[in-house]
Amino acid sequence: MSSAVAIPLLVVVVGFVAGCLTAVVRDGPPRYLPKWAWALVICAAVPWGGVAYLAFGRTRRPGIPLETLAPVQPHDPGGPPAVTLAPPPLAHRRPSAGPVAIEVSGLTKRYGAVIAVDGLSFAVQPGKVTGFLGPNGAGKTTTMRVILGLDSPTGGTALIAGKRYRDIIRPLHEIGSLLDATAVHRGRTAWFHLLALARSNGIGQQRVHEVLRMTGLEPAAGRRVGEFSLGMTQRLGIAAALLADPAVLLLDEPVNGLDLEGVRWIRQLLTHLAAEGRTVLVSSHLMSEMAMIADHLIIIGRGRLLADTPAAEFVSRARRDVLVKSPRAAELAALATARGATAGPDDSGGLAITGMDAPGIGELAAAHGIAVHELVPRHASLEDAYLDLTSGSADYHFEPAEGVALR
Amino acid sequence: MTARLARARDALAFEWTKLQSVRSNRWTLVAAVIVTLGITVVIAESLASAPANRPAPFDPLTASFLGYAEYTVLPVTVLGVLVFTSEYASGLIRTTFTAVPRRGSVLAAKAVVTGAAALVVGEVLAVTCFLLTQAIVAGRHGGLSLSHPGVPGAIAAVGLALAACALVGVAAGAIARHTAGAIAAALAVVYLLALLCMFLPDPWNTRLGRFTMPFAAYQVVSLHPRAGLLSPAISVVVLVAWPAIALLAAAAELRRRDA
Repeated sequence: MSSAVAIPLLVVVVGFVAGCLTAVVRDGPPRYLPKWAWALVICAAVPWGGVAYLAFGRTRRPGIPLETLAPVQPHDPGGPPAVTLAPPPLAHRRPSAGPVAIEVSGLTKRYGAVIAVDGLSFAVQPGKVTGFLGPNGAGKTTTMRVILGLDSPTGGTALIAGKRYRDIIRPLHEIGSLLDATAVHRGRTAWFHLLALARSNGIGQQRVHEVLRMTGLEPAAGRRVGEFSLGMTQRLGIAAALLADPAVLLLDEPVNGLDLEGVRWIRQLLTHLAAEGRTVLVSSHLMSEMAMIADHLIIIGRGRLLADTPAAEFVSRARRDVLVKSPRAAELAALATARGATAGPDDSGGLAITGMDAPGIGELAAAHGIAVHELVPRHASLEDAYLDLTSGSADYHFEPAEGVALR
Repeated sequence: MTARLARARDALAFEWTKLQSVRSNRWTLVAAVIVTLGITVVIAESLASAPANRPAPFDPLTASFLGYAEYTVLPVTVLGVLVFTSEYASGLIRTTFTAVPRRGSVLAAKAVVTGAAALVVGEVLAVTCFLLTQAIVAGRHGGLSLSHPGVPGAIAAVGLALAACALVGVAAGAIARHTAGAIAAALAVVYLLALLCMFLPDPWNTRLGRFTMPFAAYQVVSLHPRAGLLSPAISVVVLVAWPAIALLAAAAELRRRDA
């Protein structure tokens, strides 16, 4: 029997009994109450005892040592005190079920006429940091919400260790997630926020202390979240994601709003977690951020997969060309094209040649007696490679302001 | 079965911890209790000062719960509404659903915790209001004792009615998601439908009105239930049916929609 049926039923039973009581008491002394009615009354009274026990018997005062409740320095902008990166003991951590931790196949999500995710398939492997990249509106967050069972897909599946999120019992033990760190009740203290989450998945109070210590929030545990800086709120979100020591982590834009120290802290933490064999999927719209930490990249645009590749390979595949400046550029271009390269005018007024290396072009020019004033081999940065890949798929393009080059 | 039990216990502990760790919830209840007692005293005083040779303006049992009916229902219903809407407003609901992915379990746990809290507060208030009123009117009209026929049943039903209102609030919050809309919907069920029925032409005002929560509640808290309305036992069923139907609708809605 599902709980959604059980509860109204319980209420109905209790109501019926109360009705019997009312009628019986009104119509005469209780000695006329038949035996079965008393039995019913007793049966209905028992579950409320259990509810009362759960409600009042299990709650103790928070076990925060007094000194940790001391207020954080008044001007603390969220910069934490010394942060311990040492992970908690992992003895009770279950090894991940297989080589693939998160598997998304043929995922489609449509909101009315808008297709947010369009036939997306990828797999996330354990032991490395996987960057989930795409311009704003590419469908990253939607994909993550479907993985977490928050939105139901229009088509396709998203599995964690072979299971749908909704079928996982005590899911925080399998996958920790951070979608929006500010999605916290502002009137609740950090301690109680984490304690409630811990209780929802049968996690002990000790672990709440541990994650508070790991994220450097212990001194602020007794403060209400509404008083937190953005950085501290972000740390609280990370603490919640790490609460059950999960083998899989899913973080949506975790560095948004963090100061430099916080960004570095997250970077180290994620690298560290991946090195322990966990699966880490981090979304971002900033390639520069991913370049620092990701081992593997999954890039999407307009809900479709654009690239699923090791980060190093992505860089090496990036555009390379040679900038040439020569008074007889047109002749050189024709010669290079004849040898299978492509040549075109460059923004800087020179010639951009792709498909030949610099020595080759130099030899070619020398063989035909063409003077070369400049010969510069160029590597596109990771950022450029990313922009090349996604420029066709961004939902909103910026018009460069006059005189300002955006790229 | 053990796994199921553990899951239910987890969900209940989760919701209880959330409910009792927000200061405003506690203060709302404390304020509701204090104001209720105040109103009850005022009503009892006016009853006690009525001339002894004229019939009392109210049934002394009903009078015990007038303050309760007029006022307490409001903050408790709103508290029930906020159980869901505060989470939707902050986005916390998504964290809740990632911790407990079964929507039905979340709704059930919230309903049990909120209903139980309202029931406890309701029963304590019912007994207190009754004793307070009877102590004040005792000198003038002769108060009722707790063992007077009809009194225990009425007190039990009053607590139940408060829990029912809180649960209507919970269901409205889950369906409407926005605080203002949910409060409007919940109060429509709890108060306004009855008010509307009272303005209908004669046979229809009671014929429809008896199925609303306030009419049903009136029947279970008066010494002499009115003819033409439902019997007290059926009225209790009415009081229970409203939140039960609302919660079933909420369960269907939570399952169907994205968080």
